[in-house]
Amino acid sequence: MRKLLFLIAGLGVLLASPSSAFARMNVFACSPEWGALTKEIGGDLVDIKSATNAKQDVHHLRAKPSLLAAMRKADLVFCTGASLEIGWLPILIKKAGGPNVQPETIGWLMASDYVEKLDVMTEHVDRSMGHIHPEGNPHVHLDPRNISVLADIVTERLILIDSTNATTYQNNLKAFQAKWKTLIRKWEVNAQTLRGQKVVVYHNAWAYLLKWLGMGVIASLEPKPGIPPTVSHLETVLVRVQGKNVTAILVAPFENEKAAEWLSGKSGIPVVHMPFTVGGNEKSKDLPALFEETILLLKGSS
Amino acid sequence: MSKKLLLAASVAAILSTSPAIAADDVNLQTLQAEIQAMRNAYESKIEQLEQKVETLSAQQNKTAAKVAATEPAAGRSSIPATSERRINDNSFNPEIGVILNGQYQTFSEDSSEFAGFAVGEEAERGSEGFGIGETELNLSANVDNLFRGSATIALHEHEGKTEVEIEEAYVETTSLPYGLQAKAGRFFSELGYLNSHHSHADDFADRPLTNRAFLNGNYGDDGVQISAVLPTDIYSEIGGGVYRGDDFPGGGADGNDIGSWTAYGRVGGDIGDNTSWRLGLSTLQVEGGERSANEDMVVFDGDSGLYITDARAVYAPTGNNAEQEIILQGEYFYRDENGTYDDMDAGTGAVAYDDNQSGWYAQGVYKFHPKWRVGARYSQLYAGDVPAGLAGSALDDSDHNPWAATAMVDWTNSEFSRARVQFNREELSDGKEDDQFILQYVMSLGAHGAHAY
Repeated sequence: MRKLLFLIAGLGVLLASPSSAFARMNVFACSPEWGALTKEIGGDLVDIKSATNAKQDVHHLRAKPSLLAAMRKADLVFCTGASLEIGWLPILIKKAGGPNVQPETIGWLMASDYVEKLDVMTEHVDRSMGHIHPEGNPHVHLDPRNISVLADIVTERLILIDSTNATTYQNNLKAFQAKWKTLIRKWEVNAQTLRGQKVVVYHNAWAYLLKWLGMGVIASLEPKPGIPPTVSHLETVLVRVQGKNVTAILVAPFENEKAAEWLSGKSGIPVVHMPFTVGGNEKSKDLPALFEETILLLKGSS
Repeated sequence: MSKKLLLAASVAAILSTSPAIAADDVNLQTLQAEIQAMRNAYESKIEQLEQKVETLSAQQNKTAAKVAATEPAAGRSSIPATSERRINDNSFNPEIGVILNGQYQTFSEDSSEFAGFAVGEEAERGSEGFGIGETELNLSANVDNLFRGSATIALHEHEGKTEVEIEEAYVETTSLPYGLQAKAGRFFSELGYLNSHHSHADDFADRPLTNRAFLNGNYGDDGVQISAVLPTDIYSEIGGGVYRGDDFPGGGADGNDIGSWTAYGRVGGDIGDNTSWRLGLSTLQVEGGERSANEDMVVFDGDSGLYITDARAVYAPTGNNAEQEIILQGEYFYRDENGTYDDMDAGTGAVAYDDNQSGWYAQGVYKFHPKWRVGARYSQLYAGDVPAGLAGSALDDSDHNPWAATAMVDWTNSEFSRARVQFNREELSDGKEDDQFILQYVMSLGAHGAHAY
């Protein structure tokens, strides 16, 4: 019993340094796009830790030590949800997340909860279909209209957490939404020529982008979602694309390009290295640049 | 119906008063006429009322009929409604995960005894040929907004009998402030690196000699553990627990007191985008335990203090471990024991023992393709000096330090399936080199497993 008391007392001493008022709000973003969006609204008032960079596959991440330290300080957790981060986010939340960033609290923001999801599975699902997400396709950020929805939501959360700076957040939101509306219109006009074009993807990570632009997928390099490409599958893809008018093979920075290069070599369809998220290539430094680049690259190959 | 009766009664009352109004004929006639008129009026009123009652009851019947008519229709259309309800019910059911695990193994040596160590059942190498290892059933769910519960039941066969073991059954907090977390029940303690992990998540088919000899695979006891992630930029965590002291290396706990306790501290972080690391120190102290080992033939009675230091580093180009990664990991164990050893096989009787043993392992795993990994591991143990009374017993290492070298290749089709080929060369006692060949599969059904660091 004595030891138990010592243990509790020891922990108490170590933890008696609570920080009540924030200097800056700590935002834990699971992927760069949500960090970038929070930055648009929060500006210098927020400190953002992105759990992944554009070159990392968000799904396959581990609950590594540095993320536990970041979660310990988080005032807002901004992630995609729909099981994308299921392997590691629950561990972090349980172990290091405070009461204000638990599910269903104001510090818990899952983007996919606020937008209409594609590929929602209503019929029977099982894992023979690959690593599917029955809740729907989680890669919601590549439709700029979803970004707009989430800009409103994240502003609401920032105000709820840090009401003293409410006006700044509101003003930033107003400025962002005005800019974003014009940009969307511009991109939609620019991308008119892409309408109806078909692409090959590595993984079905482009569903929202392609739907927005009116484009279609003819094949995936993965035989099933989450299962790496196999030679036999690539051969069937080759048969499917040959003689068809296919614009590009889209590859995200964290995806293996070897399969795409092989198919490109056999079929002549160009491989396009898409940024996928903020930081995915040199020019995609923020959200506007990400979409700018995305459309430029798609048009460049068409 | 009662309204009708009331009306009839009042009419009857009025009518019955009429004979009292007597007198001359004219008067009588007019009166009769008046009464007739009244009667007519009331009768028509009663009729009206009767009609009303009838229509009302008819309407009632109609609605009843309607309800009756619509009910089967509602029943038909409620197929999606009930199935929806079923989904809701399901969402309150625990997440269920089953680990299926099987292997085929061959050994070149008949026996496998650890020179200088008395070990538990889980330290043994398993049986030759085909076998299904451990089948693990895990149920877990959030209890409410504060707690999460998890139970892991393991089924395995030992000497022809199916054994059911509660590997873990605990509740833990999910939302304490200040990076705190508490856990209560039976669970694998935070102790070094491997101990808190289930063996199906390991990078090799078996555990290194250190974890087999010192922890009998896993130390999982009944108790309480508290941990705190500290508010530092670099990851740091401290924690500890108190336990019944019944699981190996404890044993024989009478439940009156705390039989064992643990404490740990660890730090970790990232080096650039590509590398993450973790370093830890931990201890497990068993006080006044009575540990049976070597199939209950060796008993240690006394205090046993185990100290572990663990290190792990993960490197992946651009930090993207979906494609390629290298994991380096090692632990060093030091055990200080003070008590008596009794080897009943050797008939030593209880002999005073105050010495220490140690051991280590180091391993590396290289994922060179999203589906393929290769790995190597080496582990070694050092027994304590043997007192004269224990010469020739299981505690006598005959100047041999048990060692094992391992190589493995595994193939991971998806996050849920893995198959592995492993080769071990173990020399646990002098001159008995055991070449082991293991073919293994590990598959998980149901709930998505955690990507623990």
